[in-house]
Amino acid sequence: MGRNPSDLLIFIGKRLLQLIPVLVGVIVLTFFFTHLDLTNVCNEWYPHAGASTIHNCELTVNQPLANQFVQYFVNLLHGNWGTDVYGAAVYPQIAAALPATLELVLAALFLMVVIGIPLGVIAAQFSGRWADHLVRVFYLSGWATPTYLGAVIAAVFLGPLLGLPSGGEFSTKAVPFSQYTHMSVIDAMLAGSLPYTADAISHLILPAVVLAFINMGIATRMTRASMLEVLPLDYVRSARMKGLSEFWVLYKHALRNALITTTTVLGITAGGLLSGTVVVEEVFLWPGIGQYAYVSIGGGGSVPNFAGAIAVVIIFAIAVVAANLIADILYGVLDPRVDWR
Amino acid sequence: MTEPVLEVRNLSITYTVGAGEFPAVTNISLKLYPGKVVGIVGETGCGKSTLAKAIPRLLPEPPATIGGGQIIFRGTDLVKVTKRQLPMVRGTGIGMIFQEPLNSLNPAYRVFDQVAESIRIRHYRDMGYVKTFQGGEVPFDYSKRPTATVSSSLTKPFVPDGAVGEVVRDRLRTRSDYRKEVLEYLRLVRINDPETILDLFPHELSGGMRQRIMIAMALSERPAVLIADEPTSALDVTIQAQVLTLMKELIDEVQTAILFISHDLGVIAETADFVGVMYAGQIVEYGPVAEVFHSPRHPYTKALLRAAPNRYKSEGQLSAMAGSVPNLSRLPSGCRFHPRCPLVRPACKAKLPTLDPVDPSNPDPEARVHASACFFQSEVPSLP
Amino acid sequence: MAPTPPASRPDSSARVVWRVLRSNPLSLGGFALIVLIGVVAAVVAIDPHLLIPYGPQQITGAYHARPSWAHPFGTDGNSFDVYSNVLLALPLDLGIGILIAGSALLGGGTLGLIAGFFDRPGTLGGALSVVIMRITDIFLSFPSLILALAITRALGLGVGPTVLAIGLTWWPYYVRLVRGEVLAVKGLPYVVAARASGVSEWRILARHVIRNVLEPVVVFFTLDIGTVLVTYSTIGFIGVASKYPSAQPEWGAMLAFYQSSGAINAYPWEVFAPGAAIFVTVFAFSLLGDGLRDILDPRTRRAFVRSSAGREPPAEVPATALPSGTVPPSAPANDLGAPA
Repeated sequence: MGRNPSDLLIFIGKRLLQLIPVLVGVIVLTFFFTHLDLTNVCNEWYPHAGASTIHNCELTVNQPLANQFVQYFVNLLHGNWGTDVYGAAVYPQIAAALPATLELVLAALFLMVVIGIPLGVIAAQFSGRWADHLVRVFYLSGWATPTYLGAVIAAVFLGPLLGLPSGGEFSTKAVPFSQYTHMSVIDAMLAGSLPYTADAISHLILPAVVLAFINMGIATRMTRASMLEVLPLDYVRSARMKGLSEFWVLYKHALRNALITTTTVLGITAGGLLSGTVVVEEVFLWPGIGQYAYVSIGGGGSVPNFAGAIAVVIIFAIAVVAANLIADILYGVLDPRVDWR
Repeated sequence: MTEPVLEVRNLSITYTVGAGEFPAVTNISLKLYPGKVVGIVGETGCGKSTLAKAIPRLLPEPPATIGGGQIIFRGTDLVKVTKRQLPMVRGTGIGMIFQEPLNSLNPAYRVFDQVAESIRIRHYRDMGYVKTFQGGEVPFDYSKRPTATVSSSLTKPFVPDGAVGEVVRDRLRTRSDYRKEVLEYLRLVRINDPETILDLFPHELSGGMRQRIMIAMALSERPAVLIADEPTSALDVTIQAQVLTLMKELIDEVQTAILFISHDLGVIAETADFVGVMYAGQIVEYGPVAEVFHSPRHPYTKALLRAAPNRYKSEGQLSAMAGSVPNLSRLPSGCRFHPRCPLVRPACKAKLPTLDPVDPSNPDPEARVHASACFFQSEVPSLP
Repeated sequence: MAPTPPASRPDSSARVVWRVLRSNPLSLGGFALIVLIGVVAAVVAIDPHLLIPYGPQQITGAYHARPSWAHPFGTDGNSFDVYSNVLLALPLDLGIGILIAGSALLGGGTLGLIAGFFDRPGTLGGALSVVIMRITDIFLSFPSLILALAITRALGLGVGPTVLAIGLTWWPYYVRLVRGEVLAVKGLPYVVAARASGVSEWRILARHVIRNVLEPVVVFFTLDIGTVLVTYSTIGFIGVASKYPSAQPEWGAMLAFYQSSGAINAYPWEVFAPGAAIFVTVFAFSLLGDGLRDILDPRTRRAFVRSSAGREPPAEVPATALPSGTVPPSAPANDLGAPA
């Protein structure tokens, strides 16, 4: 009926195609931001660069806008994303930093799903009573906490209290194994070192918890609303009448349907998590894109790095688009009414 | 007559909602016997659905409160059973089928998975893997243990093995084991070629098909009592006829007691053995269906029957009842029907009438059950 | 079957809202808190001396003093009174939040109205709404904080450019929200009926559409003020918006300054005071907005109405008009916005 496993590839392919105009739009928008209002485009993109790079750049500046755009696009594809204020190429720095942020965000997502969704179920189950109010207060206070405040409180007070570290990925500056994936836990596991894996995990906990706490609200909120919509429906009553315990009725029958709408907020969640990494990574000295963004944009008094800032904007936009794609696909998989053809 | 499987005694249910209290059900008593269908008929809002959901305690308890009365099932008062124990009563004890809007079957799971789930629950209880409901006194004959095949064991309502004092451990069945039984139950509800629908999702099926599957799911747990809450109200007339025929045939094969709720007099007339007419939360008349419909002894019943359009007459005005159903928070004093009753007297406003037998000296035990909640029931036959 | 409720005059929106507030202790608390904060902000703006003992950069002589009666939030390394600075920042932060959210509402809302109401395939309006939505989608791909930061890089430091930057990143949310609501309202039976009986398009827009759209949008706006506030102060924290200490303090800048001075372990009140101020303000708005949303979100409205407001839905209405799992167009695209 249009939902065979082989059809799934068609479905994903269609969604990918819809991605492309948005991605193009993102690139065009960043192009506008970076090429229109600057008097000295080339120096902005390649400060401290060699004379030949500047010369090549200046050749393109005097060309019509369309050619400039093509050149810009080609540069991006080739990995030429400009240089930072010390002359180092931006792209390799981003490539090394991205997996670390990915690890952090995935850990936070995991916590949000494992804690946030059951909380939403509880809030719906006891809607209007004190458990509901408690859950609300919990996630609203998470949402009301500015990221930096939460990060600072966690790093400075909670960390020592719970004995969790809050500086970087490992306890030592350098690690005795090579980093293939740049994701601390994975690298430690690949190197087969148990103490380093434990070390990596302990360093991951606090920043992930801060990110999760602040962004949990939307998942819990959405789960609660969907559950409230689903619980009065007849098939939930049927499930109860079959003799299933309340737990199974809620999690196997009701939640399975309520989750469908929860996936639609995955894109917004991603946006919030990524924004949050900017501050969280800075406070926890986590070597990811967020920290790179913080430094590039001139946070904390550092020298702003134009090319780096633009690179970060592009990466984050791509990430949000990718998250929306995943949400779309998940929705298509979870809702049996969606035809994959 | 045999012992009732389920007995409702003086049940009252009140809804407490911000704007006030509504007595949805007042002082209802019913007895359900194996193999007999008790129909409850009434207009929208009379409380029949509330009653249906109250028996297996499906009502959300904060707004709804069971004010008084008992629901006796297997020697235990269900009103007093805790929330924890309720899942054990349902399924193999009491089953329920619902009206059919879009959402009676879980849209996320295939037909096979949903029917197999019911069978698996019964199987687990059968084999003692999970606790099942043990009543106080258990008034059934336990000398016969349930056999493995579907058709032969349908003649008896499900009996928990634990009552016999032995637990037989069996290997866990696999998906293909369940498949055979699922197909048998689907054939039982007259679905031809059930193999074709096993992997379908509910949204790919027609309304009549979904209803049959729901009946199959309920019956596969072999409940002692089946509550049907307006099962045909959302179906086309032709499908309705098919489902009703099916249910009547099943009643002969299965000895489950059935409580059938409907607003459709014709459906009740066809299916039920006994009927209770509900008005504003009360049963105003009760008795064998032929008796009640041919010689009603309550003005409301009479008016209801008269208001049903006669399909053989194409002229003349539709006779409608004057007035409208009372607001449950502002009930009239005394008899709740008195503002609309042609027989109204001062006595009607003073006291709320209870069910009085119509003919206590009748030799037929079933006819003796006929009762009416009207002080002047003897005058009803003379109404136009 | 649900019992028929008492036949009484339908309550006005205000009464319903009041009943919501009364029944939900959380939203009542939020409402009370907001009123309090608003009053304090007004007092501080009009006549600071009523509540504020010291100027923002006034030397008090007490350095790093602990909180006391004289200095409720203590003093910092420059002996400035933290309490005075926090209160002085209140009108700024609150005002900025309302200003940005308000302009995003007006701008984005208008675009959303256009994109939704005039969206008929094959017309100029249809083409226009496609264009609007595509541009909105692209803008929505950027996390708001990042986009705002990038824009401030281009525009420069300071309150004005930051406000502009955040405003530019905020309007897309309202476009999507309002458009979704308008689409939902357009299909309502009584709107279709009005159109069929010849009511002019403008009248429909003004009377029916806007009035219905206003409710959920206002709820979102309430919550949004909080999000904007957090975003603004995060930008302030990153150091791009306001400088601190200055004659006009700002909570985010205060927090950044005190945190970077590294003295947080020894003098935690310096960081906690502005942080708590932000937290309390945003929390108040979110309490109120979250509670209001319960009554106005069609999904939770039914459950809420059934349990407390005394207004039963008609017996024949199915629990959902849509099969469960489809996102009704009235669901705001982002429930809580993108917290920074």
